[in-house]
Amino acid sequence: MTPPVVYLLLVKALATSFAGLGSLPQIQHDFVETSGAITSEQLSQAVLVGRSTPGPVGAYVVAVGYMAAGWPGAIAAWLAMMTPALAAVPLFVLMQRWLHLARVRAAVDAVVIASAILLLASGFRMAAEAWQQLSVVLRP
Amino acid sequence: MELLRRTFIAKGALDETGNGGLVAVSRLTPGTNILAYCVGLGWSLHRWPGALVSLAASSLPASTIVCALAAALVRIHASPVVTVILAAAVLVATLLVFSSAAALLRPYANRRSALRASIVALFCGALLVADVTPVRILLLSAALGACIGGASRSPDVE
Repeated sequence: MTPPVVYLLLVKALATSFAGLGSLPQIQHDFVETSGAITSEQLSQAVLVGRSTPGPVGAYVVAVGYMAAGWPGAIAAWLAMMTPALAAVPLFVLMQRWLHLARVRAAVDAVVIASAILLLASGFRMAAEAWQQLSVVLRP
Repeated sequence: MELLRRTFIAKGALDETGNGGLVAVSRLTPGTNILAYCVGLGWSLHRWPGALVSLAASSLPASTIVCALAAALVRIHASPVVTVILAAAVLVATLLVFSSAAALLRPYANRRSALRASIVALFCGALLVADVTPVRILLLSAALGACIGGASRSPDVE
C-alpha cells in the first residue's frame, strides 16, 4: 500500500470517528478486510502499542501506517491523525451558529452512539481473534 | 486535558468558560479529541500559528514512540512466547476498547436520552448485521438521529 493511500484511508476513518479508538471499525474494514494491507493480528498489535504509550489514544494509527507501508506509511498516518483536528477551528465558529439547533445536536448524538456500537463490534472481533490465537499456540 | 486546563488557567491564558467551549468543540471534532482540544487552545491563543504548533507538539512525541514500538514489535513477533504474551495483552486491550465504547454511551444512559439512544443503537446493530460499511452506518445513523430527535443531550456539551 502506498503512503498517499494510507493517508487517504486513515483520514476517511478518522474523519468519521469521535473517539480515540472510534476509527477502529473503518480501519479494520479498509486495511484488513478490503485491501489486506495488514493482518488482523497486526491491527490488534497496533491497538496494543497505541494503548501502552503516553499521549493520544488515536496514535495507534501511526502503528497501522507503519505496518502497512513502513516509515513513509507512519509519516502519512501521523499527517492523517492531525488532519481532522484542524477542523476544530471552523467548528468553533459553526458551534456558536448551529449547535443550538435540536436536529443538528441529535444527529451528532446519533453518530456518537453509532461509533460506540461499532467499537463494541470491533472489540468482540479482536477478542475472538486473540482467543483463537492463544488456543492455537497453547494447544498441546 | 485536565492537566492542560489546570496549567493554562494557572497561567491566566484560559478561563473555565473558554475551557468548556474547547471541551465541547473537541468532542464534536472528528478524530482524536485531545488533538482537537490542543488545536482549539493554540488557535484561541495565537490563531493559526498557535494551532499548528500545538497540534505538532501534542502528536509528535506519542507518534514517535508508537512508531518505534511498532517497528520493534514487527521484528520480535515471530517468537511463540512473544505471540502468547501479545495475544494475552490484546485480550486485555480489548477490555480498554469496551471501556471506550462504554464511555461514549454513558452520557445517554438517562431516562431522557435512553429511548432515542436505544433506537439508534438497534438501527446501527441491524446495519452491522447487514454488513453495511462503517462510514455508511455513521451517515445513516446521523440521518436517523436528525429525523427522530431533538432534545437528547450531547456528551460534555454544556
